[in-house]
Amino acid sequence: MSGGDGSSDVPTLSAIGVEAGYDRHQVLHGITFESRDGVTCIFGPNGSGKSTFLKTLNGIVPVWDGTITYGDVDLTEAKPEDIVTHGIATLPQGGGIFGSLSVEENLNVGAFTVDDADAIVERKAEVLEVFPALEDKLGQKARDLSGGQQMMVSLGRAMMTGADTFLLDEPSAGLAPRLVDDAFGLIERLVDRGAQVVLIEQNVRAALRLADYVYILAEGEVQFHGPPEDLSEEDELMELYLGL
Amino acid sequence: MTGPVPSLDRLPGEPRYWYAGLAVLLVAWPLLFGDFWARIGLGALMWIGLAQSWNMIGGYAGYLDFGHGAYFGIGAFATGIAMAQLGYPFVVGFVLAAVVAATVAYLVAVPTLRLTGAYFAIATWALAESIKQAALVTGITGGTFGLSLPRSSETFVGVPVPFPISEAFFYYAMLVLCLATMALTYYLFERHEFGYRVKALRDDQDAAESLGIDTTRVKRQVYVLSCVVAALFGAVHAWYIVYVHPNDVLAPIITDRMVIMALLGGLGTLTGPVVGGLLVFLLERLSSVFLGSTTFYLPLIGILIMITVLFAPSGIIGILRGEVDRADVRENVKELGEKFDLL
Repeated sequence: MSGGDGSSDVPTLSAIGVEAGYDRHQVLHGITFESRDGVTCIFGPNGSGKSTFLKTLNGIVPVWDGTITYGDVDLTEAKPEDIVTHGIATLPQGGGIFGSLSVEENLNVGAFTVDDADAIVERKAEVLEVFPALEDKLGQKARDLSGGQQMMVSLGRAMMTGADTFLLDEPSAGLAPRLVDDAFGLIERLVDRGAQVVLIEQNVRAALRLADYVYILAEGEVQFHGPPEDLSEEDELMELYLGL
Repeated sequence: MTGPVPSLDRLPGEPRYWYAGLAVLLVAWPLLFGDFWARIGLGALMWIGLAQSWNMIGGYAGYLDFGHGAYFGIGAFATGIAMAQLGYPFVVGFVLAAVVAATVAYLVAVPTLRLTGAYFAIATWALAESIKQAALVTGITGGTFGLSLPRSSETFVGVPVPFPISEAFFYYAMLVLCLATMALTYYLFERHEFGYRVKALRDDQDAAESLGIDTTRVKRQVYVLSCVVAALFGAVHAWYIVYVHPNDVLAPIITDRMVIMALLGGLGTLTGPVVGGLLVFLLERLSSVFLGSTTFYLPLIGILIMITVLFAPSGIIGILRGEVDRADVRENVKELGEKFDLL
């Protein structure tokens, strides 16, 4: 992550006509998607395929048809570990911290795909700069931290991979309502440093405040895409798919 | 990759004096106390090593392996077949034990490690039972007669040895194997990146994968490693006991003991299996020697296990480290359940 002004140096993550599914059950019927600077949100009802789509982006679910590219790099056939080394990190639902490991060990595991020892030291300093609350907690077991601090560990650990694009799977899931705003505040800190974020969320209201661009998925197809301002005019769409 | 050094030394005074004292005691043990205590000592060393081997897959990786004892039996039979049926020296049996165990473990790992929690436990238990039944009807394992190994002569790898092959000799063989197991566990699981990969996949497999850890591969590596270690103890056991029978070396109680020892001592810790292994083995052996009853220790262990599960999910080591400050039984049971993916 390069920080500083603008994030135009972050490559665009794009999918063209992606079809995928599990066994014989097709879930995605030709999704075309492009990440934007800042936060690109993907909304949709349960079973719309948004989680599956995120998993095709990070290589966990294989792509049946279509292509996925990151800048000039073709990631259609890439495995999860290749995706990470190309600069895309995923935060699984609930953050997925390693509870029995210390905060520092969590951060170290994030850097397992990184060979450059100096870069690891630098990034750790950067993580602590973005999330200073972790400084005193480095030796503590991650499971003993509060929900908000665990989210910092999870984001910080993803930063350690050296990624500049972050795929977030429902970061607000399982958080107490009063913590949701804090959680999105943490994501904002990442974006302020020039990161690009692709965000899946059920909590549409909270996520819209952060969104720079919005996709709505239903039944494995893109039903809408555009800036959030346009979405407010689509009353029918909002009601039908998002229950707003 | 550096992590905090595991806290082995909470004892007063210079830790190195304690280590030196322990080393002297371990080496001098059979010379000081004679054959009876050498036998007790070698049994304890074997069970500590076996509990540690289970701890690799069960404790560090969080896979509830209920078929682990099968690999002890595979190691014992590989050695038995090499020495009794084929007439090779022990070393060949020892190597064969590792090769056979690794091969079987890999073949088992590919389908069963897709399962988690109780499903993995049931699959491995069924595997162990079928290996035992197969050994009872197969000719090369001696079937229901078992195999009698040639009594060890005064040679080692065909070379005459200047000392008698006695209780003390086997005590030292177990000591070397047990120390090697401990050193390997310490290096791989507490110091090396490998251990962090394993613990990461235990704590959250999805997150581990999202960080570029090939969890399928790591799981197979841990499983094969832990099975090979168990088989090597089986090999030395067969060499020492000179008789292998499916009902002895493939008995389900062997797995049960390993699980109980690791659980009681502290899952996923270096020293847990040492403490748990010593405690359970000594309770069993000394109660049968001094009280003349071989089942007296069973209810005692049952009670200890209940106390552990309900009040101390991180075992005796957890208590010593002061990790247990919860009286909340539900939370404790949940912690264990989550560790094994049972919830």
